[in-house]
Amino acid sequence: MTEAAERFFEALPSRAPEILGGLADGTLQIDLGDNHRTEHWLVRMRPGSVRVSRERGPADAIWYSSAALFDRLISGEAQGIAAVLRNESTFSGNVVLFLAFRRFFPDPPGTRDPRETARRAAGRQR
Amino acid sequence: MRDLVSILDGNTFLVSDRRGDIEPSYDFPTGLFSFDTRFLSTWVLTLDGERLHALSVDDSESYRTTFFLAPGEPTHYLDAKASVIRSRAIVGSFEEELTVLNHLGAEVECTLRIEVGADFADLFEIKNARQKRGRTTITVGENELRLAYRREEFHREMVLRTTAPARIDETGMTFRIRIARNGRWSTRLHVSSVVFGARSQDIRATLPYGGSRSADAIRAEQQELIDRAPKLGCDCEPLAGAYRRSLNDLAALRYESIALGVRLIAAGLPWFMTLFGRDSIITSLQVLPFLPELVPPTILMLAGLQGHRVDDFRDEEPGKILHELRYGETAGFEEQPHSPYYGSADSTPLFIILLDEYELWTGDSALVRKLESQVRAALKWIDTYGDLLGTGYLWYQTRNPETGLQNQCWKDSWDAISYADGQLPGFPRATCELQGYAYDAKIRAARLARKFWNDPEFADTLEREAADLKQRFDRDFWIPEREHYALALDADGRQVDALTSNIGHLLWSGIVDESRAGKVVEHLLGPRLFSGWGVRTLAADEGRYNPIGYHVGTVWPFDNSIIAWGLWRYGFRDEAGLICETMLAASRYFGGRLPEAFAGYARDLTNYPVEYPTACSPQAWSTGTPLLLLRVMLGLEPQGEHLIIDPAVPSGMGRVELLDIPGRWGTVDALGRSRDPEERPGGG
Repeated sequence: MTEAAERFFEALPSRAPEILGGLADGTLQIDLGDNHRTEHWLVRMRPGSVRVSRERGPADAIWYSSAALFDRLISGEAQGIAAVLRNESTFSGNVVLFLAFRRFFPDPPGTRDPRETARRAAGRQR
Repeated sequence: MRDLVSILDGNTFLVSDRRGDIEPSYDFPTGLFSFDTRFLSTWVLTLDGERLHALSVDDSESYRTTFFLAPGEPTHYLDAKASVIRSRAIVGSFEEELTVLNHLGAEVECTLRIEVGADFADLFEIKNARQKRGRTTITVGENELRLAYRREEFHREMVLRTTAPARIDETGMTFRIRIARNGRWSTRLHVSSVVFGARSQDIRATLPYGGSRSADAIRAEQQELIDRAPKLGCDCEPLAGAYRRSLNDLAALRYESIALGVRLIAAGLPWFMTLFGRDSIITSLQVLPFLPELVPPTILMLAGLQGHRVDDFRDEEPGKILHELRYGETAGFEEQPHSPYYGSADSTPLFIILLDEYELWTGDSALVRKLESQVRAALKWIDTYGDLLGTGYLWYQTRNPETGLQNQCWKDSWDAISYADGQLPGFPRATCELQGYAYDAKIRAARLARKFWNDPEFADTLEREAADLKQRFDRDFWIPEREHYALALDADGRQVDALTSNIGHLLWSGIVDESRAGKVVEHLLGPRLFSGWGVRTLAADEGRYNPIGYHVGTVWPFDNSIIAWGLWRYGFRDEAGLICETMLAASRYFGGRLPEAFAGYARDLTNYPVEYPTACSPQAWSTGTPLLLLRVMLGLEPQGEHLIIDPAVPSGMGRVELLDIPGRWGTVDALGRSRDPEERPGGG
């Protein structure tokens, strides 16, 4: 488990009120693997709140990622659904929980607000 | 397309030639496809080394076809000593039964061969052929041929099995057969298309509905859906035929998403067998009065996949509703942005419109309460990221020039948005119908806020904003000298002045000032836009007009269904009826199945609607068109706990009777009759 991942999980309860809406209702087990072992996280989501613990299910959905991929997801470099489509990451169970959880992942690094770019360009044209 | 034969079940489909053969193709997607991957690119049958030709093809059902074939060229077949029946079905996987009939009074020996290949092309690689990045391995087993494709963890397999013994090599199966006089021989070929997921299992094995169903199960399931729909009784055969066909095609287009595990409606064969924001919302609006239970999975998935971050590759922003979700290799490895792609500026307001309309019909307030935060996020997107220039309008401009879409409205081909003289405006662009949708979304969200979220202040704010938008829109988009609304504003705020069908969507959304409605209607049904079969996408005297240009002159049935809804909304019942009538007349030429688009030639020039060369069929929002037209003719509008029925059936159509219309009222019947008693002998 990397430090970045631990910090990410620690911060979830304080971020949940803003991020988890009405569809987030259930328990997601996250399995993070590397060559040696798999770590389990249990994320119980409710609209506006979350409880996180380091244990296995029971869960409504299980999502697997390598620890390395997870680090890229929580830094915004990778995107979760594409990772599932190329089978680098897998899940089973209620997909809505995975879709709710992915909302905790940040923008890709270096992203700028598209409005600033568009308004600057339009201003130049005038 | 006309010379091709397609069968489908959900988003697994097969397109072959009239003989049932598939040969590698790089312009049109022929082959067996499932979840955006081609699992069969070669499938060619020969008898004693000779190709066969079709005597007849029975393709009356959506998921199965039977080909009756004979060897040699058509001139030879009368003395054919044998014939072949090729009977196939998509039943989750693909099955084909081959039967050889001996017509001689003596025993014959012959060699039957099926040539097999799988290129595992992603649908996006069909048009731009390229070297596959992964590796294919071929394994010849007893009674089976297995082709496996791997790229890193991405893994697809095609497995062909035969019930009769065969000599199997890496490119096919050969059957040396002996048939008694006047006898027959047969084998059953079974092709599974395997998509590997968690724990290296076929991903569909873990889905609630599973991958494979028998043909009987498919028939039963389709029939059950058709039985649930209201019953139509009418004197007008084109209407009855189109309604029947639409229900069948809707049943066939339902598929189970591998990424989502719910049943969604695919947008259209062959290019669009997946989830689209705009298409699925419009289709849902069309089918809502008939099959409301098809709608919630779409709403839930669009809400679940709502954008949450700023991602330039995907044109994603917080609160935005997706444009397109794909399941294939190019999406997975991020060579295409469809995971999902968010490049549409209309799906977000349309999402709010659909949720409100769904509640109006069904009274399902629980869903409205559950999605409060998603709707608020969508509204916020309209006022923030959607308003790219900060001028109070919805604008679009892709941040992914390589694989994103230039035009992010329903007319999304590159040349669809032009000035009257044919020139193309710069970016960003604000097309007019986007503003209409935003207006309607705010009005409808105000109702939701007041009634379900206990937030009357927010409702007041939304209504004020909508009223302000309507006023500004009239000032900025109306072109006094041309007497119609501009197609768009360009980045400098100048009007993009072409006359287009988009003005019909404005009627539907309610943003048109009542004093302008008459002029808008005159244009819609005037000779520049109205072809006699329907409203053209672009007026015939505009610079870029082309009667067979995808969005610059063709007639789109779905577009016309929305326009008819808009005409009704503003009280132009006769004009709405005319569009209903001409669309249904056109549907007769397509066996009741309206295609994606047909040519914009004037009706008196061609006498029949000319199909657009590569039109998708069946396509969901064309399939939904006859349903919406029925609603318009019968004037069905929910109000409180009741359904208002206010029919205006076009003259000559006689009786139109729709029984058991479902909704929050239970079920009710609607009866309409055209007003001219003399139109049928005996009073009709």
